[in-house]
Amino acid sequence: MSNPTNIQGNAAAAAGAIAAGCRFYAGYPITPSSEIAEQMAARLPKAGGTFIQMEDELGSMAAAVGASLGGVKAMTATSGPGFSLKQENLGYAAMTETPCVIVNVMRGGPSTGLPTRPAQADIMQARWGTHGDHPVIVLAPHTVREIYEETIRAFNLAEALRVPVVVLYDETIGHLVETVTLKEPEEIITRKWAEGPREDYLPYAADEDMIPAFPRPGDGYRTHTTGLTHDERGFPTQDPEKVTAFMERLLGKLETHRDLIEKNELVETEDADVLIVAIGTPARAAKSAIRELRGEGIRAGLFRPVTLWPFPEEALKAAAKGKRAVLVPEMNAGQMILEVERVLAGAAPVRGLNVFNGEPVTPAQIATAVKELAK
Amino acid sequence: MSQTQIRFSGSGGQGLILSARILAAALAARGKFVAQSQAYEPTSRGGLSRSDLVVSDREADYPLVTSLDCVVILDQVAVAASEGLLRPDTVTITDAARVSAPPREPKRVFALPITGKARDIGNIRVANIVALGALAELAGIIDPDSLRETMLDLVPPRFRDLNAEAFDAGREMATRLENA
Amino acid sequence: MNEITVTSADAFDIRDWLRLDLMPHFMCPGCGHGIALRALLWACHELGIKKDKLAIVSGIGCSGRTGAYIDANTFHTTHGRPLAFATGLKLARPDLTVIVISGDGDSLAIGGNHMIHACRRNLDMTLMLLNNEVYGMTGGQVSPTTSAERFTTTTPAGNVEPVFDACKLAEGAGATFVGREATLQTPALKDLLKAAISHKGFSVAEVISDCTEIFGRKNAMGNSAEMVLRQKHTMIPERAQDDRVPEPFKPNPFPTGVFVDQQRPEYGELYEQVRKRARETGK
Repeated sequence: MSNPTNIQGNAAAAAGAIAAGCRFYAGYPITPSSEIAEQMAARLPKAGGTFIQMEDELGSMAAAVGASLGGVKAMTATSGPGFSLKQENLGYAAMTETPCVIVNVMRGGPSTGLPTRPAQADIMQARWGTHGDHPVIVLAPHTVREIYEETIRAFNLAEALRVPVVVLYDETIGHLVETVTLKEPEEIITRKWAEGPREDYLPYAADEDMIPAFPRPGDGYRTHTTGLTHDERGFPTQDPEKVTAFMERLLGKLETHRDLIEKNELVETEDADVLIVAIGTPARAAKSAIRELRGEGIRAGLFRPVTLWPFPEEALKAAAKGKRAVLVPEMNAGQMILEVERVLAGAAPVRGLNVFNGEPVTPAQIATAVKELAK
Repeated sequence: MSQTQIRFSGSGGQGLILSARILAAALAARGKFVAQSQAYEPTSRGGLSRSDLVVSDREADYPLVTSLDCVVILDQVAVAASEGLLRPDTVTITDAARVSAPPREPKRVFALPITGKARDIGNIRVANIVALGALAELAGIIDPDSLRETMLDLVPPRFRDLNAEAFDAGREMATRLENA
Repeated sequence: MNEITVTSADAFDIRDWLRLDLMPHFMCPGCGHGIALRALLWACHELGIKKDKLAIVSGIGCSGRTGAYIDANTFHTTHGRPLAFATGLKLARPDLTVIVISGDGDSLAIGGNHMIHACRRNLDMTLMLLNNEVYGMTGGQVSPTTSAERFTTTTPAGNVEPVFDACKLAEGAGATFVGREATLQTPALKDLLKAAISHKGFSVAEVISDCTEIFGRKNAMGNSAEMVLRQKHTMIPERAQDDRVPEPFKPNPFPTGVFVDQQRPEYGELYEQVRKRARETGK
């Protein structure tokens, strides 16, 4: 591809994956994500990798995890209904600490919903979709360039922290074509492989970094991997002490590496009276609205989480300090706002701007809402 | 940030998305940042089809059109969808034969016999390139010769001459009307 | 591709193949799955498979839990999905010998779709399908292979659902090696598994096994020895008409042996052609 190039959001996700070293993709067709599968079907064999269209969404999530268990970087992509189907096996990846990347291109829901229209109503599901207390990282790119960059980062985080990573964006951005210069990744991270004598190796033991070394099948470790709650040897346990130790490490490992995970963009927040908190298309609308508002003397700013989950609590609190009001525009009936309200705990009034009719949020809608709040 | 917003619209099957893609490629090659989006109804022929471009000097804030600087309308079915986005100074190009009731907001509408000319050239399917030539001349966002070059790179080789003729015809048509 | 070689009959010591520190195992006294596990490891021994290169992918249920005892690269996955996990694993690591252990519910009910497509695709792996006609782990519910009139916790008045023939399904879906044996005939089972594992392509080996403590008890089928001997009655079709087998406990007769043994392009090799084409044509 020539640089700079006009590339579609979904195609950028595929390009980013390959640049990051992804060599296995399993998927199932679903609007509006099918372009990712099509791109991977064409690109992966050229790169010596494998593409497979599985018989269903559950199978494709399973196959991606299976490939990763074999030591190969793997990805799958879907949208709402498929994301629901993938949850059990996504939880399996979280429980077994198997790196993988899942792209969810959000469309109108619930159920079959609006297959060709944008929404952001999977925000909570991306965090809590699978049962149990589980670790997951969710990245929320807002431009085609950022889809490329964040897909690369998704693989790096998945490998470094041995966790499933969801790349979450709405259909508008997925189908948008933008001018991007696709750069080679600055850094490519691959998981820590198990080394040394088998007798000394415990597949789920870790030192201070809380991330166990990964046993590549064939290297001689012959380990057991299970979705059952397990001890450091990888075998099932119900011993409350061992379960506590395991769960604390599983859930604590992301907190330990927060500096690696957290990423936010702040636009003119310092002197803002009204703080907008947004991701995706509404964030872009906000950027446009802020220019217009500032031109009229209204001081608005944007706090945009790039890593959506774990939610950037401290950074949001800091950005919202002293603000007259907080506006949360989202293409759903109110999801991210629940997190904002919880985190700010009354420090500032929080209002939602909720658009869930399949249309994207516009700068005009945001400007109007901010003017209301700035009164 | 300075921006130019352009829309190609009409009915499905008129090749509007290709026109938009060609324009986007030409602009990107000249260092512009383009955000291109489209919408169409499920039917592959007929029904509303549109492709939008937001052209900026760096990555666009909002990538969707809010106020069109230029619009091409090749079928009546596409008029209503754009009404709310037009200004009095929007450069509006319509197909004279297929848009009987043009939008009211723009002060000046260039109603050109686009599909008629395409038919004359020999293939109605190059109407989208005729329209592209007209737009190049009237919109003032890109040098028409460099757009022509990009266009020729992107069309199938065996149709290059046909498309060149279509593009030139569109330019000529627009120039004549502009000077009229 | 796979390091399988047929060796002479060196003495087989199952302890070489087990994670002994996990003993005692979870299986009920008389469980047929233990016999199947032995037969599988015996087959692996005779084939000279290297444990480091052996991957066992299992589903959920008593069948799935047997995998943990094998000293190899073992993966205990989600209910119904081991074939899908194994597909990803084998495609990423064609150098591994991949064996899937799944039960009747796991592979024919919730996992039915993956079963069909694994058979169709013909990727080089082996499925050992442990069929004990019940969902034992969860307390004894009916399964797609439960015989007519049997009592289970979800068929308290006797099962009226038709019985699934897993081998016919596998054959219909295109599996290139399909066979069935019962735990009673352990050496024959071992040979079937050897043939299935050596076969290049997708192999299905159905194992007629017994759930003595839950299913057998509920249906008054006697102790484990009596249940295993019952297999003998049911394996030979004409014996199913035997008057000495009391009604209504005449189980469905099932044939044993190898039903399908064909060659068809193996999926991994087909995909290697895709890679070649992609690199050459740039498509």
